[in-house]
Amino acid sequence: MNDIVTEQRDDLTLVKLAGEVDLSWSARVREAILEALETRSVGVDLAAVSYIDSSGIAALVEGLQTARDAERRFVLIATSLPVLAVLELARLDRVFTLLPDVGSALRPAEVG
Amino acid sequence: MSAADAHLLAKAAVGDDAYAFALLAELSEALAVSLDLRRTLPIAIQRIVDYMQVQAASLFLFDEETDELACKVCVGPIDVRGLRLGTDQGIVGLAFTQAAVQIVADAANDERVYKRIDEETGFVTHSLICVPLTAAKGTIGVLELINKLDGAAFDATDAGILRLLAVPTALAINNARMATALIEQQRLKREFDLARRLQKLLLPKRRRAGFPLLAVNVPAHEISGDFYDYFDLADGRIGFVIGDVSGKGLDAALLMTRAASLLRWAGKDGLAPDEWLRRANEELCQTTTGGRFVCAAVGYYERSTGEVRLAGAGFPPALLHGDGVYCEYRSDGPPLGIVAGQEYTETRLRLGGAALYFFSDGVTDVRVGDGRLGQEGVRGLIDRHASAPPEARLRLMVSELRQLRLVDDTTLLLLEEPRAQTAQVLLRQTFPAEAERLRSMRADLRLALQRSGVPADLRDRLVLAVDEACCNIIRHAYAGSSGDIVLSLRRDGDVLDFELRDDAPGVDPSRITPRDLAECRAGGLGVNFIDALMDGWRLQPQAGGVGNVLRMWKRCPAPLEDEA
Repeated sequence: MNDIVTEQRDDLTLVKLAGEVDLSWSARVREAILEALETRSVGVDLAAVSYIDSSGIAALVEGLQTARDAERRFVLIATSLPVLAVLELARLDRVFTLLPDVGSALRPAEVG
Repeated sequence: MSAADAHLLAKAAVGDDAYAFALLAELSEALAVSLDLRRTLPIAIQRIVDYMQVQAASLFLFDEETDELACKVCVGPIDVRGLRLGTDQGIVGLAFTQAAVQIVADAANDERVYKRIDEETGFVTHSLICVPLTAAKGTIGVLELINKLDGAAFDATDAGILRLLAVPTALAINNARMATALIEQQRLKREFDLARRLQKLLLPKRRRAGFPLLAVNVPAHEISGDFYDYFDLADGRIGFVIGDVSGKGLDAALLMTRAASLLRWAGKDGLAPDEWLRRANEELCQTTTGGRFVCAAVGYYERSTGEVRLAGAGFPPALLHGDGVYCEYRSDGPPLGIVAGQEYTETRLRLGGAALYFFSDGVTDVRVGDGRLGQEGVRGLIDRHASAPPEARLRLMVSELRQLRLVDDTTLLLLEEPRAQTAQVLLRQTFPAEAERLRSMRADLRLALQRSGVPADLRDRLVLAVDEACCNIIRHAYAGSSGDIVLSLRRDGDVLDFELRDDAPGVDPSRITPRDLAECRAGGLGVNFIDALMDGWRLQPQAGGVGNVLRMWKRCPAPLEDEA
């Protein structure tokens, strides 16, 4: 089932999503991302997301835009294949910063 | 012509008998140019009577049917035309059976002479000569001359001359008979052609593609005893008939014509198949004679339910073939037209995606080496062509049968729903237009697509497109009010067809436009996804301002049949 776990890691708030991000849940996902971005940079862990629709993508886009305005980092971590397919479909796979794992997200100096 | 004949002829041509030679030439010519024996034979016989100086002459012809010699031409004081003699009667019979000239000098004292005519008429036969008429296949009749006018007896010279005169006579008779036979043959052929054309007219026309019944009839002879028929009933059912009339030839063809129209008439009444056959049997029993009968199978097919109801009367079993499994449906009742008051039994089956074959015994009786094709052979025949679409399959089966030796009329009737033309419903569900319902909708849709053989990556994309469409209906069409969404997924040949119906206020299709993907913003992506994932879509607001129908389609070839 759907689940959101928020963890503090160094300078990053890790938002771990699990389940299917569709219309029934994307509003909750959006809230969790925006709330986390109020204080710190955010990494969204998508490893356990088996489905995402355009409303879920919209929540991610809104997170990216909010982070940019607040001059915080916003990265997608361990993007699952189903999510990547939809990002590519929306031509957003180059707009987001996609990182393979949590470790690479925690070394901001290397990322630039 | 023997040496003796040639000698006689040569003598006649130069000597006292030059007139005989002239007569022979004249007779030959007259008889050769005319096939009208009624006119030429009496003239020829009269010439012979005049030349031979005799009182009377009769021409007898052999009648194969009665084994008698019948007098056809007669010249003289007593007309004996129509007189029939057994081949053992009189000198005429003797000349015929021995195929040799017979001379009687003293008829009154010869036991062999047939005397009834003399006794009845008072005519007195003193002497006579009988000459056989010989054609290629043997003796065909006898020419008899009675009483030389000078009172003398017939001699060897008379016999020789008469034998010569008999030659063109026999030839002319034979020619005329062959000509008559030829004319009769041509008349029969015309009748057969007509019967065949009538029969072809009776067979139903091939329907347009998508009709579930197909049939082929290959006559072994000029006219067929087999027939088939199919027709639409007012209630939507399709009736079908296949039949086989016993025997061959014109009267079998006529019975076939009657049986076919009778079965059609009874079938169009929509009677249950057993009653249908029962009624046809009663009618045929009243009129069918001569040991003829009709084997038939009849039935109805209801397309909406896929149900087949059938009954048989002495017809080979129907064969249902689906998923590599055969199931036989035997005909229970006796053939039609033998005994009145027979009962028949109805059989029901569900066609589904299977093929139901009916074949006349001409198919199972096809010669294969020393044996016959039989039921097993028919299954093999079907197996070899099972992957072909129905029409091509029947054609392939018939051409294979033609390569074997057809000994009887061969007819095949196939009942099968054409796959490519008929949309197959893969999923149909109604659910409240709520976001919480989408997860289970997606699961059901994914499963339906999987069952229809859609590859995994395409499956996910199609699920996404349908999900996006539902989201838009929930958010923009219903926009907070409650209602239902009806989702249907159909496969129509190679095309997957998705339909979403709602009862929300009508949506203006022109206001739905995809956003510019270069612009990075949240929202409005759904239509892009649908555009990208489907081959096309169309939104149709319903009349009355309530309800919308969204159709989306995607080409996706079905997997090969044996994998389905």
